[in-house]
Amino acid sequence: MKRIFLIIIILIALIPFALSAITVEEIINRMDAAETFSTSFSRGEILSTDRFGQKTSTFNAWARGADESLIEFTSVAERGQKVLRTKGEIYLFYPDAQELIRLQGAALRQSLLGSDISYEDMTGEKNTLAQYTATIEGQESIGGRFCHIITMVAKSRTVAYPVQKIWVDMETFMVWKAQYSTQNGRLLKEMEVLGTMEVDGRILPSRTAVSDKLKKDSKTIMVLTEMQIDPPLDPSIFSLQNLTW
Amino acid sequence: MKMKLTRVAFRNLSRNLRRSILSGSAIAVSALSIVMLFGLIMGMRDDMAQNLKMFYSGEISIRHAQYEEFERYNPIHLTVDWKAVEPVLQQNPALEAIVPRINFPASLYINGGNHPVLGVGADFEREKSLIDLTAIVRQGRIPSLGANEMLIGATLARDLNLKLGDSVTMLSTTAARGSNAITWKVVGLAVFPLSALNAKYVWVPIDRAQYFLRMGTDVQDILMMVKSGYDEKALAVEIQAEIQQATGTLTDVQTWKQLNDFYSLLEVAQYLYYLIGIFFFLLGSTVIINTTMMVIYERMREIGTLSALGMQGSELTRLFFLEGAIVSAIGAAVGVACGMLITWYLSKAGLDFTDAMSGIDIEISSVLYPKLNLWTALFVYVYAVVVSSTATLIPSRRAARIEPVEALRYI
Amino acid sequence: MKFIVELALKNLARYKRRTIITAIAIAVGLMMYIIVDSMLIGAEYESMRNLRWYETSSARILDSGYWENRMQLPLDKNIAQPYRIIEELRDEGFVGTPRTTFSADMILSSEDFGEEGNLPVLITAIDPRTDNDVFRFEDTLIEGRFLRPGEDAVVLGSWFAEDLGAKVGYWVTLVTRGNGGFYEAMDLQVVGIVNCPNPNVNRTLVMMPIDTAGDYLAMDGAATEINILLPDSKDANGYLVEIQSIIDQSDDNLAVYSWEALAKDYLAIAEAKRGGTGVILFLVFIIAAVGISNTMLMAIYERIRELGMMRALGMTDSAIHMAFIIEAGGIGLIGSIFGVIFGAFGNFFLVNYGINFGMIMRDMDMGYRIQSVLKGAWNPSAIIIAFLAGFILSMLVAWIPTRRALKMDIPACLRHQ
Repeated sequence: MKRIFLIIIILIALIPFALSAITVEEIINRMDAAETFSTSFSRGEILSTDRFGQKTSTFNAWARGADESLIEFTSVAERGQKVLRTKGEIYLFYPDAQELIRLQGAALRQSLLGSDISYEDMTGEKNTLAQYTATIEGQESIGGRFCHIITMVAKSRTVAYPVQKIWVDMETFMVWKAQYSTQNGRLLKEMEVLGTMEVDGRILPSRTAVSDKLKKDSKTIMVLTEMQIDPPLDPSIFSLQNLTW
Repeated sequence: MKMKLTRVAFRNLSRNLRRSILSGSAIAVSALSIVMLFGLIMGMRDDMAQNLKMFYSGEISIRHAQYEEFERYNPIHLTVDWKAVEPVLQQNPALEAIVPRINFPASLYINGGNHPVLGVGADFEREKSLIDLTAIVRQGRIPSLGANEMLIGATLARDLNLKLGDSVTMLSTTAARGSNAITWKVVGLAVFPLSALNAKYVWVPIDRAQYFLRMGTDVQDILMMVKSGYDEKALAVEIQAEIQQATGTLTDVQTWKQLNDFYSLLEVAQYLYYLIGIFFFLLGSTVIINTTMMVIYERMREIGTLSALGMQGSELTRLFFLEGAIVSAIGAAVGVACGMLITWYLSKAGLDFTDAMSGIDIEISSVLYPKLNLWTALFVYVYAVVVSSTATLIPSRRAARIEPVEALRYI
Repeated sequence: MKFIVELALKNLARYKRRTIITAIAIAVGLMMYIIVDSMLIGAEYESMRNLRWYETSSARILDSGYWENRMQLPLDKNIAQPYRIIEELRDEGFVGTPRTTFSADMILSSEDFGEEGNLPVLITAIDPRTDNDVFRFEDTLIEGRFLRPGEDAVVLGSWFAEDLGAKVGYWVTLVTRGNGGFYEAMDLQVVGIVNCPNPNVNRTLVMMPIDTAGDYLAMDGAATEINILLPDSKDANGYLVEIQSIIDQSDDNLAVYSWEALAKDYLAIAEAKRGGTGVILFLVFIIAAVGISNTMLMAIYERIRELGMMRALGMTDSAIHMAFIIEAGGIGLIGSIFGVIFGAFGNFFLVNYGINFGMIMRDMDMGYRIQSVLKGAWNPSAIIIAFLAGFILSMLVAWIPTRRALKMDIPACLRHQ
């Protein structure tokens, strides 16, 4: 009995250690897993601010796994425009265009609806470890949540951000904050989660701010107003044929 | 006495008609060439000014107050409220024509690649008051309002391998600062008078451009043509105030000369040609001076005879000066008249340099229309008469100082 | 024959004043023609030369994939070992320099510029050691100094610097994508400002050392282009073929493009302008020709009495004819020689000093790319044509009245006024 008690004490004492002893690979994998669902449906809006003022766009989004997603814009100025992402490729559908626009190469660097998010940011491969070498820098509390601070350095030149520094929740593996910088450490973009919501027992970001650190007065806030996890989805949603209906 | 001298001068001139014609014709050709040169310069300048007015700014351009400041960021959302501004302009007595335009950078999506172009949303019915569209549309027709149809520069069409009837998708940033794409049908090939435009321009109906760019009924630029006799600069200030009073918004109203991006080019071209004009004057003057001096020296013996007969030096000078002045007046008149006639003819018929462009498989006509200007013609006339009459002064004054005996000896 | 020539020459010397006046008419006509031609050619030549000196060079080697996508400035369609190719070119007598061009966002800090801002720019990365062998930027430096290899520095065009409010010593930040697509930012100091005579360049120019850019952009020694200086020659195509055969030996898929191909749209405008130029030259020629022929005609008519005397004294018509034409030719020769000398003299100033138009042209984008100083150009063929025209025209003009005078009877000649 005494022995069991001792073991429990040791175990409790070891919890923080055990938590920090989790390998960086495991953190990243769990982080990737926390961001991907077998299927999802969400509704939300993008509030972007730049030197000329603010604008709001609303959207519905469907996703399956890590590689497939479809966004349909519902706000007046963009109504009916869709962005389809399949593995490694992005197609744009415009209601008045008779053909799909396939984005490739430099065109992926364009911003999505004038926000601080580029198409390329959306494609970002979820298999983070394949592209980055990660190391744990330490721990820090953000908004009352304990986080691992992880620095990731790009393995190749084909990823947009050579260095990423992320704050990953120790418990939920949600990313609270991310800083994207150049090789020499100049901060390019910053992402911060401003609010969360609970869906089916999972904690997900509901308000996320992205700001381009090199442009003055530039900020984009993404708000999810509704989120369904694992809803039944027709796989053909993510096909090119379906895009033109 | 003066009357008598004039009569003597006329008699002398008609007695040696060949000599008079020779010296007169030199003056005439010089005057003719100078009149034509100025006609050519004016034609070139007007041609450029015309193109700038037609394709860039009108005589007065009305844009959003901040458009110019942010121009390099492609501020498509900085628009002018056409519905509110048009009635204000219509009331202005100086208004001759008013044309709304939307200039927008776009790209054509062809075979997976993007090709940058300059889009222009135009109200083709109104454009007719500014541009001779039938002359510009070389193949096909003008796009119809309300239809997704485009008129494309001939060089651009060739570069992108687009033909009449082809469909092409265009991408652009919208006034809502999002993006949009629309598929247009190529219904016309255009040859613009500026070859730079031929390789870039794509014109579409303004209502479709407004829809495409999410502009509502706004436009990017209002081009205004002004009745002659109004000071453009003062008018621009006035219009700005009127628009502000009527609509409560500040606009940027500038004359085509203030939008000096291209006007400065005119200045340079003009300086260069005026410089050449000066050389023409110098050359013309030497021809006139030489001919007159030749005439005087040829007539040395006559001078000797006259002074031996008792004619006074000052009278001699006056006689020769008078003769010179008469020849100049007639020669210059004939030269200027012929020059004006040729220039007038060319201003209608045009000088066709199209051959020079034959290296390009699409025929880009480059017809230059010289411009007749009565004031320059008058100036050239007065100048030619003054220079050639003055030229006679030098030798005729010398003639007056020559001893009769010496003058008689002169061969 | 010897007598005729002697007579003609004696006459030339005897009627000094007439000879001088007629010769002046010819000389001035020639001089004007040469100078106007020089100005027109100079304007055109200068704009072409400015294009080559500051924008396109005489010829450019690119990866063939680059040419198709040149609008996007693709860094990955590059020349892997530019210096090896430049070496090979040098062995064949060609001078080349590597360059890499890329687009970037230039960020201005409020510290130096008073307010923050960013603007899209085009960067030209150059090799400071060899760039001036092909381009001429070093001569146009007006402030600060030129680039040094490997430093974090930029040189700006003066109009661009003026638009930004940039001064030597200020820092700017460039944000761009490196070879592969990664983000890169570089802090660079403005070390110099050039006033480039090519307005298009002067309005946009941002230059930095190619090795610095190569490090930041991960070019691994590659450049996007090699620019080549070719001697002025009609046979540019021959050179291009030769260069193509040199670069065909390398493994890369490279191609050489002439400056005409690089500046196609611009040249179309120049073609059209040439038409107007031709008309101006034609008008100059007409005035000069009328000036020459009128003076010459008068000189001949004046001497019909003398001609009658010579016939009365028993000289044969053909000998008189010959004497008069030789005399006219003599005047033509004297006039033409002086015309060419004066023309060349005036042209010397036009070519070397030029005519200053001042700061009248700023944001222009089309037509002639002339900087504020208009300089002339030597055009030997125009000078030779002018010389021959002056000489031949004089004799031709003398021919007709002399022949007509010889047809008159002797008393009519002697009575002639």
